[in-house]
Amino acid sequence: MRVLRRTLLSAIVALSACSAALPSSEVNLFAWTEYIPQEVIDGFTKETGIRVNYETFSSGEEMMAKMLSGSASYDVVQPPDYIAEALIQAGLLRKLETQRLPHLANILPEFLHMPHDPTQSYTVPYMTGTVGIVVNTRVVTEPIRGFKDVFQPSHAGRIVVLNDNREMVTWALYSLGLRANDLSPENIERTRPILAQWFKFVRVFDSDSPKTELLNGDVDLGVVWSGEAAILYQQDPKFHYIIPAEGVHEFVDVVAIPTQATHVAEAHEFIDYLLRAEVSKKISDAFPYTNPNGAARRLLSAAQLANPASYPPAGPRDTFRAIGKTSQQIDELVTDLKNSR
Amino acid sequence: MLTPMVLWLVLFAVLPMAILFVYSFCSRDDLGRIVFTFSLENYSRVFDPRYLHIMVRSFGYASATTAICLIMGYPTAYFMARRSEKIRERLLVLVMIPFWTSFLIRTYAWIQILKGSGLLNTVLGSTHLIAAPVEWLYTPAAVMIGLVYSFVPFMILPIFSSAEKLSNDLIEAAHDLGAGPLRVFTTVIIPLTAPGIAAGVVLVFVPTMGMFAVSDILGGAQVPLIGNVIQNQFLQARNWPFGAALGIVFTLLFAVSYGLLQRRPRWDRAASA
Repeated sequence: MRVLRRTLLSAIVALSACSAALPSSEVNLFAWTEYIPQEVIDGFTKETGIRVNYETFSSGEEMMAKMLSGSASYDVVQPPDYIAEALIQAGLLRKLETQRLPHLANILPEFLHMPHDPTQSYTVPYMTGTVGIVVNTRVVTEPIRGFKDVFQPSHAGRIVVLNDNREMVTWALYSLGLRANDLSPENIERTRPILAQWFKFVRVFDSDSPKTELLNGDVDLGVVWSGEAAILYQQDPKFHYIIPAEGVHEFVDVVAIPTQATHVAEAHEFIDYLLRAEVSKKISDAFPYTNPNGAARRLLSAAQLANPASYPPAGPRDTFRAIGKTSQQIDELVTDLKNSR
Repeated sequence: MLTPMVLWLVLFAVLPMAILFVYSFCSRDDLGRIVFTFSLENYSRVFDPRYLHIMVRSFGYASATTAICLIMGYPTAYFMARRSEKIRERLLVLVMIPFWTSFLIRTYAWIQILKGSGLLNTVLGSTHLIAAPVEWLYTPAAVMIGLVYSFVPFMILPIFSSAEKLSNDLIEAAHDLGAGPLRVFTTVIIPLTAPGIAAGVVLVFVPTMGMFAVSDILGGAQVPLIGNVIQNQFLQARNWPFGAALGIVFTLLFAVSYGLLQRRPRWDRAASA
């Protein structure tokens, strides 16, 4: 018995010695799936010796739910704009020490001081994009200009849309001539008949990889993230990206540091690394969303910049604002509509 | 001897249920954090027709899956159990092999089989069984295929283990006493493998009822099942108290129906009568 105890003790001592010898610097990253290339993470660790623990989520809501559950402490999070706004309001994001982020100067001015972070003190834009229409022009030959042309009986069963309740309601709001943030209970109710009509024609609801259904040829039209559309266009230019005539909103995914972060210095170092032109270019290579990093854009090829899904004509566009409990009404509406199909 | 079992139960069954129970009476703030004020609102929402409707639908899917798994699984398990020991073990490994790959990856693989230009349509098309490609994917049929595929091993394994114990002497004795094949099957084989059938039915029905991934991936997220609704409350809608209330009602329904099933006259009692 005593031998056993001694062995155990020495094992514990050896283990703790081991952990002391390991580099203690690390950064706990919580980010979207399919958004940060492994090459970038490896490059950061190689250069700084800081280990990156990478955990992923697939919707802004999921990110917030996990962050608030407090089960893990993250050092860098990557929320979309409206989630970041809610987190800032609740005091859950830390003010960034901008002197530690010299490469913040690379960000184009139109992506700074946006409504979700008007003082530009909590977040740094990572990638931005729009949600628009993809058309397989080999199959669909008539002109598609907006949602009205997509959701037609002739396209029944040939459409994929994002499985994102707020997105779907937003498209219907635009069809009513309203704006993305006109989310009063009455306005949400007004989208019901429109969405009920649209849902009859939808074959798949998929937020994770709607490009797959289009590539497989199981559908010919999609309302998808612009980055997905850009990849489709790269693979085959028959996939056209169209900014819906009724209206379009812009999303900005940001990086930020939670108040509870324990590796603040490393977190700043990581964020500044992401802001470097050559690093940001690698992100664009892998995930061709709209890059808010001006210096990185100068490194992109002419073909990358000409991709209509990555770089659509500029325009003043709404971004989503924090909505609080309205998400419940939206969830009930969409559940109802899917239920009564 | 009992202590580890009790500890396990407390840690992994009682404690989570207790947390769920407390949450189900709470409300939430704008961000979705739990606010500890007593409320019955979540329970009144559970009995809203829209969610009852979804529960009934989920029940339908789960029952159909269980029935198909039983029809497919019983003969398979019985066949396996009647082989020599060596072959039996090999067959058992074959049933287990799929578990070596993640359930999600296997479900995604079905997309490749069921898609318009996929394996199934290619095979059917080349044998001229169908004139044009059939749209399998993103239909209720695809969801059923995915569910049966995922859960059929859970039917085979318990039936196999009770069929394995079934002695040939009893079957021979029944034959000697003049029973025909059907009579032997209904009065000897079924009653003696009933514990396996019961375990298989529970093991298939319960997880199918709560499943959400298959209807998302193979059903195109078109038709919500109760599992999808609950998952949505914890992630998209950020309403944990409501999700907890759904979970509690759901668990109670199971407990009550399981209890009722146990009270029914059992096969073996009927057999000995």
